Amino acid sequence: MKLSGTHTFSAPPDKVWTAINDPVILAKALPGCERLEPDGPDRFKAVVRFGLAAITGKYAGSVELAEKVPPHSMVLKMEGKGIPGFVKGSGRLELRAKGKQTELSYEGEAQVGGMIAAVGQRMIEAAARKIVSQFFEKFAAQVSGK
Amino acid sequence: MIPSSFEYQAPRTLEEALRLLERHGDEAKLLAGGHSLLPLMKLRLASPRFVIDLGKLRGMSYVREEAGVIAIGAMTTHAEVASSELLAQKCPLMVETAEEIGDVQVRNRGTLGGSLAHADPAGDYPAAILALDAEIIAATSSGTRSIPAREFFVDMLTTQLRPGEIITQVRVPVQKPRTGSSYVKMPQPASGFAIVGVAARLSLAAGGKIEAAAVGITGLGPKAFRAEAVEKALTGKKANEKLFADAAKHAARGIEALGDLHASADYRREMAVVYVRRALNAAWARATGKKA
Amino acid sequence: MAMALASKFIGKSLKRKEDPRLIQGLAHYVDDIVLPGTLHAAFVRSPYAHARIRSIDTSKAKTAPGVVAVLTAADIGSSIGTVPCAAQIPDMKAAPRPVLAIGRVRFIGEAVAVVVADGRYAARDAADLVDVDYEALTPVIDPEKAIAKGSPVLYEQYKDNVSFRWELEGGDVKKAFAQADRVVKQRIINQRVIPVAMEPRGVLAEYKPGEKSLTVWSSTQIPHLLRTQVAAMLGTPEHSVRVITPEVGGGFGSKLNVYAEEALAGYLAMELGKPVKWIESRRENFQTAIHGRDQIDDVELAVKRDGTILGIRCRIIADLGAYYQLLTPLIPTLTGLMICGSYKIPAARIEITGVLTNKMATDAYRGAGRPEATYLVERMLDLAAAELKMDPVEIRRKNFPAAKDFPYATPTGLIYDSANYQGALELMLKKTGYANLRKEQAKLRKQGRYMGIGVSTYVEICAMGPSSAMPAGGWESATVRIEPTGKVNVLTGASPHGQGQETSFAQLGADLLGIDPEDVLITHGDTSIVPYGIGTFGSRGTAVGGTAVYKALVKLREKLSLIAAHLAGAEPGEMVFEGRKIYSKEQPKKSVGIQDCITAAYIAKTLPPGVDPGLDATVFYEPTNFTFPFGAHLCVVEVDAETGDVRLQKYMAVDDCGNVINPMLVDGQVHGGIVQSVGQALLEEAVYDEQGQLITGELTDYAIPRAGDIPWMETARTVTPTPVNPMGVKGVGEAGTIGATPCLANAVVDALAPFGVRHVDMPFKREKIWLLMHDGKRAAKQSSGPAGAARRSKPAKPAKRAAKNSAKKSAKSRRAR
Repeated sequence: MKLSGTHTFSAPPDKVWTAINDPVILAKALPGCERLEPDGPDRFKAVVRFGLAAITGKYAGSVELAEKVPPHSMVLKMEGKGIPGFVKGSGRLELRAKGKQTELSYEGEAQVGGMIAAVGQRMIEAAARKIVSQFFEKFAAQVSGK
Repeated sequence: MIPSSFEYQAPRTLEEALRLLERHGDEAKLLAGGHSLLPLMKLRLASPRFVIDLGKLRGMSYVREEAGVIAIGAMTTHAEVASSELLAQKCPLMVETAEEIGDVQVRNRGTLGGSLAHADPAGDYPAAILALDAEIIAATSSGTRSIPAREFFVDMLTTQLRPGEIITQVRVPVQKPRTGSSYVKMPQPASGFAIVGVAARLSLAAGGKIEAAAVGITGLGPKAFRAEAVEKALTGKKANEKLFADAAKHAARGIEALGDLHASADYRREMAVVYVRRALNAAWARATGKKA
Repeated sequence: MAMALASKFIGKSLKRKEDPRLIQGLAHYVDDIVLPGTLHAAFVRSPYAHARIRSIDTSKAKTAPGVVAVLTAADIGSSIGTVPCAAQIPDMKAAPRPVLAIGRVRFIGEAVAVVVADGRYAARDAADLVDVDYEALTPVIDPEKAIAKGSPVLYEQYKDNVSFRWELEGGDVKKAFAQADRVVKQRIINQRVIPVAMEPRGVLAEYKPGEKSLTVWSSTQIPHLLRTQVAAMLGTPEHSVRVITPEVGGGFGSKLNVYAEEALAGYLAMELGKPVKWIESRRENFQTAIHGRDQIDDVELAVKRDGTILGIRCRIIADLGAYYQLLTPLIPTLTGLMICGSYKIPAARIEITGVLTNKMATDAYRGAGRPEATYLVERMLDLAAAELKMDPVEIRRKNFPAAKDFPYATPTGLIYDSANYQGALELMLKKTGYANLRKEQAKLRKQGRYMGIGVSTYVEICAMGPSSAMPAGGWESATVRIEPTGKVNVLTGASPHGQGQETSFAQLGADLLGIDPEDVLITHGDTSIVPYGIGTFGSRGTAVGGTAVYKALVKLREKLSLIAAHLAGAEPGEMVFEGRKIYSKEQPKKSVGIQDCITAAYIAKTLPPGVDPGLDATVFYEPTNFTFPFGAHLCVVEVDAETGDVRLQKYMAVDDCGNVINPMLVDGQVHGGIVQSVGQALLEEAVYDEQGQLITGELTDYAIPRAGDIPWMETARTVTPTPVNPMGVKGVGEAGTIGATPCLANAVVDALAPFGVRHVDMPFKREKIWLLMHDGKRAAKQSSGPAGAARRSKPAKPAKRAAKNSAKKSAKSRRAR
């Protein structure tokens, strides 16, 4: 499943960059994030409850920031497993200054395995897009709140 | 196909149900028929700690006329809606829509309130509820409020309902004279859910001009919606097949369509056009007293 | 010998003896059997199609409430053998499947651990607590990519994923293609489907340590073969294993197998000393019971200008899945054997590449390799007819062997027993008013309505089969026992599970003995009661199993004839059995009641000299050949140009399965087969995504036909008895899935002909059809005439790819927004 899009933040790229690298902000932005703990450089252990209304699943796994080119681009990797199966995603983020704002574009791929994949294909993509946009909305709030 | 363990509670009164819901909050799910909730639980995609069964509530299942409005109890089953004489006479769109839901077993267990609260993006009722400008009555322990259908659906599986609220009633208007309605859908071949479902309502003026047009579409996007561009293209015009065909072209305007194994987003958009046109033609035929 | 029998019941549509218990809910399936102290098993299954297992932590699960045991492959060690595959192809790569995955998982749903608890709920809860650490490996999903250079491999010990290559050539193929006026080419995809029996699998095992006996109740089509294999897998003496097949809620080949779960249940019962039950969920059934079909067929047909077929060539890529089940590699070879269909094709060449992929194994699904053969040859006939501008009926007529040509030898080495293909076709044409249908089609086309007429004339290979051609014996057994009170027990080694042999065999018994069908009870599916048998599959129940019953009945008739002649004072000779009496054909007045003869056999005071007491006969019948039923099907569809919706409007099946014992049962088999064909043609497809996730994982996404999708099906028959068995019966269990799928496909392509479509792959889902119609419209607008014709002669895009393309397009347009 491919996911892509752009979001605009009312802060310059270096500020957005710092925020992405801040585990406290990441934890607040990640929908359903119950825990995010450092686990080596640019790597975090995470427990996340992804869901949509009645449908929820708890996943334990990792978040990793790789191929960092500050403050321009990085690859954000996530991996988790839980009772409904596993989720795995990796996306390339690119930051571009647009006046006083930052345009963040992302392009990535997500993979879902197990029960959700077997029965959820009708809503899976829309749900994933929704979770991603929730993330950026919350993230934007965190960035502008700073 | 075995759910995680949960505690089952079956209140007898609405007050008791509201109290339980308030107490358990997020950890509780309401069981109102169960044809969406129970499969999710059996697959362990939903694992509520408490299941509050509304099936034992007294006085939540009825269809009655109240001053120009038909009030339908939230726990009225699809089968009861489909077989209601009162609705058949005064609001046939509800009957036609209920007949299209699932299969006999689903219709015998599933309820109007349960279906609306679940807000499946491909559910049948939302299209009709929207086209009828129905009102959804929701209760909390501190009172009730009325939510217009147009505001009710927020996103996929997400409604305006607040934590602690229970739908108690749905109010649909009595159909006006020279009005016709129709619900048509392309069912997903396995589940029967709508790939595209269209509920249309047309009211004609004496000269044959369209006085009011309402088109609710389900299945196409993450939530059911009113096709306002279609309605605008119809209102005030003289009804004819060409008008419907032209207006239907706006069916998917501004909608981010869903795509899946059974129908891509592009195909759904195309089918929305076809089904809107078909629904409009059928509604028109009925408004003019022709069979369709 | 023809049926020179009294036929008071044979040939009549008796109501099924099985039905009252089934429709009243009085039948017993595996899950209805409740033994005290039963433990329940739940499996931990892989969410990955391909992964290395780094570690499995069962500690939490082991301490969960109610849990008795949690086992992984390490706990089992070498106590249980691998899942058996009875079909061997020379130089085939071994792909042994352990009952629980060892170190690596190779398909979604592969069992990694089993949890046993004192209740089904406790077992299921604890399964969630088993923590498996997987290292994902690149999945091998597309069979063509799987055999391309550089593909990751499923088995590290091999350099590629080719399981086997198999070739068959007969006749002068080179010459045939050199002499052809035209070579018609097409890639034809026969998609993977799921059998979807109403009852998923289920097994219950009980071990009695005192007697050292293991009893296994399983929902299977092959109780005896299962007993032999389970005993071998567990290293237990076969005579102390008993397999009981209670009611089986549908098999369609999916229960013609020996599964890991069956052996595991036996093992657990022995280890834990308590009965162990496992009942499969629908999702497990979809992921881990065998799938069917899944071939890519590149076919070439050499034809003369007048429609005469000179030869056929076919390259088959058969997707076998990750491991072999009982008959996995054999199935595509059946396609090869039957590739000439019902036509006089003098030369044929088949090359099969069996491919290992990260999916569930394919195996015998109703028809098992023959629907694929019929499908491709029937599609090719229509393609050739279209290129030669012939009517599809004409090209078939032109290429049938004549009735006098039988027995007819095919270049693939088969001997077709008996047939009159023309007869079936002509009857079908007459019954459907074919010429008028074509006129109606022309009329509708002018109105912009797209009606399609599909014809298929099929032959199938049934009554499996002579043992020389079968992996595990092809004979069948029967015991007929006439009890002292005159009630008759028939024990059959075939294991009917819905086909209706409890009725049709009773009809045989009644007519051969001159008694009522109510007095004949059929017993099957218990290895401790019934002599060893092969089972019910391959349309063999009546033609092989029934023949064994017939022969045992004839033996008892012979004995009763001697007794009757003796008692009636008649000369020993041909005796007539009728109305509970036995009388001399020559001297009809010399008559005696059958009960008197039965009593005499048991009291044993008045038996003729040399006749032993008792009335019990057992026969093991070995057929000399397969049988080859055939038929002609026609259907009418209409395609909705606005939506691509295909509506089936008319279906006519003329089938010839030789002599018929119960016409209603034959109709029922034909109806059911047609409906399953409608499923494959219009709706069904097991879809694995690129990661090997089975995304049609439940009945919410895997569409099967419902009553409302099916019009009234008309059936008719011609009767060409087979010389292969004394009753002249051929078998009909798979005819529907063999004849109907190409018939439906030909109709859909015929409907789409005005859009320049010459082929489209199943399933004919709305969107796929809609795209073809709309691309066609655009093409027609851009240019008419020669360009359109050129388009027609170009092979159509494989539909899978077309669908992918459209998916890509929508992804792009979404990004653009």
